[in-house]
Amino acid sequence: MQKMVSSIRHYVSVAACFARLAIQRQLEYPLFLFSWLLMIPIQYFSGIWMLKIIVDRFQPLNGWDFPELTFLYGLGLISHGIFVVFFINTWHIDNMVINGAFDRLLLRPMNVFFQLVASYVNFIGLIDCIPGIIIFIYGCQLAGFEWTAFNIVKLLLVLLGGVFIRAALFISLGTIAFWTKRNASMVSFALAMLERGTMYPLSIYPNVIQVLFTFLIPIGFISFYPAVEFLGKSSGGLQLPLSLALWTPAIGIVCFLLSQWVFRIGMKSYESAGS
Amino acid sequence: MLQAYWYITKMRLLTSLAYRFEVFASVGTNLILMLASVFLWKAAYGGGIQQVNTLNLQDLTTYTILSITLSSMFVCGVQDTIYYKIREGQIVTDFYRPIPLFACYLADDLGGMLSALANKVLPLLLFASLFFGIPWPSSAISLLLFIPSCLLSYGILWLLSALVGLIAFWVMELGNMGIVKDSIVRVLSGSIVPLWFFPESVQTVSKFLPFQYTYQTPLGIYIGTVGTKEALAAMGIQAVWIAFLFILLAAGWKRTKTKTLIQGG
Repeated sequence: MQKMVSSIRHYVSVAACFARLAIQRQLEYPLFLFSWLLMIPIQYFSGIWMLKIIVDRFQPLNGWDFPELTFLYGLGLISHGIFVVFFINTWHIDNMVINGAFDRLLLRPMNVFFQLVASYVNFIGLIDCIPGIIIFIYGCQLAGFEWTAFNIVKLLLVLLGGVFIRAALFISLGTIAFWTKRNASMVSFALAMLERGTMYPLSIYPNVIQVLFTFLIPIGFISFYPAVEFLGKSSGGLQLPLSLALWTPAIGIVCFLLSQWVFRIGMKSYESAGS
Repeated sequence: MLQAYWYITKMRLLTSLAYRFEVFASVGTNLILMLASVFLWKAAYGGGIQQVNTLNLQDLTTYTILSITLSSMFVCGVQDTIYYKIREGQIVTDFYRPIPLFACYLADDLGGMLSALANKVLPLLLFASLFFGIPWPSSAISLLLFIPSCLLSYGILWLLSALVGLIAFWVMELGNMGIVKDSIVRVLSGSIVPLWFFPESVQTVSKFLPFQYTYQTPLGIYIGTVGTKEALAAMGIQAVWIAFLFILLAAGWKRTKTKTLIQGG
């Protein structure tokens, strides 16, 4: 017990130290953020604007009207933002393998995955969270979301689960780099898939894709199924016992543990790219 | 003289063709974007809506497929090339060359475009045809007009990209402004949602901006929304924009050349 407490304390202190270094590193050139600061809000606000144009000119998408679409879009975007703050290093595993930075992690007497993630807390990712929060709150307002204590707890659990599902996906993809040494383009592929899968209602896609995104790569649970429950919509076929929203954290944790297992297997066949 | 440019183009063509895995993933990414957009339109047209603004679902499916295919082909690496070369100080070696800097970068991008034609455009069109049927043009004339209009579109996009690259010479510490420009172009070019659906006021303003002449013009010609006469007029406007942007670039470059800072040189 004593040993565990001191080990946790040690990990927390290391994480704090990493975070301090990361902030200092990112604030060294503050103007460098300028282009991101412009680009990210433009991208996401225009995304929701185009959904509004489509709904205005046509009709609600499979029964999802603009307020509900905004709610869904915002929910997906916030979990993306949180993911980007804490887990962005999972995108760069291949880089670390190639330039040998990964060897350094293996030499230290600490959990490798913890070091990988903690060594770069990406505060710039908060820029992604800001449009996410604005769009989500706007959606809540329009769709009449009730801010009861129970709903807030559920919402937090959903966000946590959503971040875990995203992390699990990118950890598994990153693990491929242990064998192939490169996977940067897989990351952009997965990002496109996640964006389109979480920001539009899953029910607009054919059944094959819905089944795929529910059971095989469960990104439907990041935002679609929780939104279905919060807004009282039809899920397009899927029936699960208990509350749909509460499945998100459960699935998130299972996926995350699975991805840890995959990561450990991958590390066994890791060979230093060496130089 | 032209031999030098052809050499650059050829080298880029060969290197691009060598990275097969990257291409594979890029086609996959574009395919996902394509599928998602087409299903979005299907949902929008679901339940009995036939036509909106004289466009039916087939028109928009063709529009989307072609739009994403074009975006994979229009290689405008010049903004990133300049940005990274200035940051790393490598721009100095390009100044040594006996041929103009921007012409080099154009030759390079053209090589990228040629290789994209083979390894991105073909597979994308093939998959799209398998999923949604072959995206036929509305007539033979529209196909004939589509091709020169695409070339003019590329001219506008490339010059915009080069102008952003020019900005990097002045304010490199602001980061890569190319990503900002790209996100604006994506929306205002009508590459995702045609501008015909946008509010009237936005459409009016957009007529005086270069963006809609990059994607919407050729795509509108292809699906037959823009008639032959309007198509020729639109291509005239495209040419005017190219002339204007070219003069801007030439003037800007003249002033910039003399005050280039070589990092770490």
